[in-house]
Amino acid sequence: MIIERSSEWKEGFTNRLENLEPWQNWTLYNMNYEIVKANLITDFYGLQSPKYLPNLTPLNHQLKVAETVIERMNGKAILADEVGLGKTIEAGLILKEYLVRGLVKKALILTPASLINQWVEELNYKFYIPAIPYKKNTPIEYYDVVVMSMDTAKKSPHKELIYAQDYDMIIIDEAHKLKNHKTKIYEFVQGLKKKFCLLLTATPIQNNVFELFYLISLLKPGHLGNYEAFQSSFSASKHSLEHDDYLRELVNQVMVRNRRQDTGIEWTNRRVQIIPIDFTKEEKEVYEMISELKNMCPVFSDTFSMITLQREMCSSKEATQLTLSKMREKCVELKEIEYMESVMQKLMALEMNSKAEKAYEIISQANDKVIIFTEYRASQAYLQDYLYSKGITSVLFNGKFSKSKREWMKQLFKEKAQVLIATESGSEGINLQFCHHVINYDLPWNPMKLEQRIGRVHRLGQEHDVHIYNIAIRNTIEDSILELLYTKIGVFEKVVGELDDILTAFKKTI
Amino acid sequence: MYPQQVHDYLVKFFEENECRILNNDGHYINVQLTIDMDKKIMNRPYYWKYLESINGEPNPAQLTLITDQNNLMEGGIKGEVVHFGSPRLSQLFQTTKELGAFVQMYEKVNKFEKNIILTPWLGVNYKISYYSDQTKEMLYSLGINLMTGNLIEEFQESLREVDLDPIMTEGVFHLPYIIKPIRALERLDLVIDNIVQQDDHTWAEEAKERWQKDQEVLEYFYTGIEKKPECYDMERKAMEEQYEARIKIEVLNGGLFYMK
Repeated sequence: MIIERSSEWKEGFTNRLENLEPWQNWTLYNMNYEIVKANLITDFYGLQSPKYLPNLTPLNHQLKVAETVIERMNGKAILADEVGLGKTIEAGLILKEYLVRGLVKKALILTPASLINQWVEELNYKFYIPAIPYKKNTPIEYYDVVVMSMDTAKKSPHKELIYAQDYDMIIIDEAHKLKNHKTKIYEFVQGLKKKFCLLLTATPIQNNVFELFYLISLLKPGHLGNYEAFQSSFSASKHSLEHDDYLRELVNQVMVRNRRQDTGIEWTNRRVQIIPIDFTKEEKEVYEMISELKNMCPVFSDTFSMITLQREMCSSKEATQLTLSKMREKCVELKEIEYMESVMQKLMALEMNSKAEKAYEIISQANDKVIIFTEYRASQAYLQDYLYSKGITSVLFNGKFSKSKREWMKQLFKEKAQVLIATESGSEGINLQFCHHVINYDLPWNPMKLEQRIGRVHRLGQEHDVHIYNIAIRNTIEDSILELLYTKIGVFEKVVGELDDILTAFKKTI
Repeated sequence: MYPQQVHDYLVKFFEENECRILNNDGHYINVQLTIDMDKKIMNRPYYWKYLESINGEPNPAQLTLITDQNNLMEGGIKGEVVHFGSPRLSQLFQTTKELGAFVQMYEKVNKFEKNIILTPWLGVNYKISYYSDQTKEMLYSLGINLMTGNLIEEFQESLREVDLDPIMTEGVFHLPYIIKPIRALERLDLVIDNIVQQDDHTWAEEAKERWQKDQEVLEYFYTGIEKKPECYDMERKAMEEQYEARIKIEVLNGGLFYMK
């Protein structure tokens, strides 16, 4: 065992004995003793941090998470609460606890760029942790708690700068961004020393169970065995696995997850439904012509571009047209070009968009604020035009907006417009509890994206029931998307735990 | 610490440091800092350097500290909100620690008492911290009689009964110590070592077990890999820092006490 002592006091005392420095004040001497005595951490267990945070009232589940992570998981964990339960508060409590106990001196927080300021503010104002946002040329060796974007951190020269520091704690927000072990950011985090480490994500599995394997291997390599062992012992393939009870047990040793219903807080209901609709005869014709393309032109032989086109056709002709004209340039044979021309012509001749009409119908019936999520910028613009022609005001939102523009759009939506039309990249880090209707105009491949979207409105502070409308066109690629979404939700629930409704209120068993 | 306790602490702290309290309604104070205190807590070395270089008129700051915002008697008071856990209070605790570390005190003696001779003591307050991935702290207050070498525990508590003053009462004498204070300090250090050694160190054993368990998991991950990557060594190092049991012994404060 290592015993550290300092001779500092002895030197000061010697100086006083030799009359080199004056003796000090008796009252301050006693105050010093009393304060240290009052702040003494007399037990290895229990949380000290709450008494340092009189203006913060953490919820019970948040305190419990902090305690579990520190006492049972030794400060290395995945915080996987459902969206909106306060993972940031939990991470703040844990960091504060380690700071108070003197176990952490330097900490690094990695987040998506859009969340940096939010983290800095929460840490400073809620937790009195002097965190600073990293900017180019910030001398990080002088700051104990630094918040930085993942994209910056993984690049030189920032990467080398970080490696040169000696961080005691690493916190990574939106940690599902590390799901792919072949990325630069994964490699970067792998090379960081992780004495204490928190990975925050509501969606530790987005597509397949290997994502969770890689996430845990980052936190605690070997906890799920190495790759080969993991694959063979769970017969894991992308969307299915065996021995899931045992795996779940292992996962729970390094992951805490609260669901809304476990928190003891009254949550408003989530009313989720799939709204199946049909194409018009004309739309159907174009869709089929597009599907036929793979037999006509070699450019479309790869399934990816085919699927993209089909999905776009399910969204809007504007989205489709953009891709289609790009593809046409790659065609060489006259026959192909002629066929493409005829598809384009039919496409441009389409006068109505069944999905948009349905969305309009839902908005009119709701007679309230509505958020529409679409996957395509072209559809976003189209929808704004279309709604405008129907006398409905809307604002656009996407992830590329600066912080002030985001705030401005949010404000406009709250006060002026009825509808907010957002693309996928807009669905993180904006909170819109004043809205209670969400239309998923296009379905993403990944169920967790749906959860993130819904989480924008269904979170702490929501006072009304929340209505979710998932529009899907029958007999198209959207059938397969729905099918796959069900399968992925099934894997998630087997390994991580139950999910709140995201597709429909009725569970489908796989 | 409740707002009232924080308030009393601030008032006492500034009074003891000769900073004039200009306003005090029980929920906030307005205080005129002395030059020394400004230098200690206002964090503006350049101002003072500049002022001294031009030989300017020093203008130490006034601070308004609000301890109970909800009960302010008058409106419109602007100031820094101070509560337990706030950076300002932590800073003042630290300053208290610096300014209250070394004392020399004499027991007060009634003028009519005759031929009083005071005995010298060394009193030291120790803080011991146990660290692994968890922490625990303890305070020990020890006193040693510099004539006899006699030891007392809970020394600080026993001083509560004694009326002490930094200046010896006139006409009173004290014995010169036989044991030199530095030797006595070394004796107390040994006593503390002994206390630490005798203590129950299951915590360290448990930390070691947690460490070993994690270590085994890590080794398993890299079985069969001949040349282990850099991050393997990194993980090992992180575990060492996380779990290794350490004990920190520090002297909080102490001094010479002359008592009957």
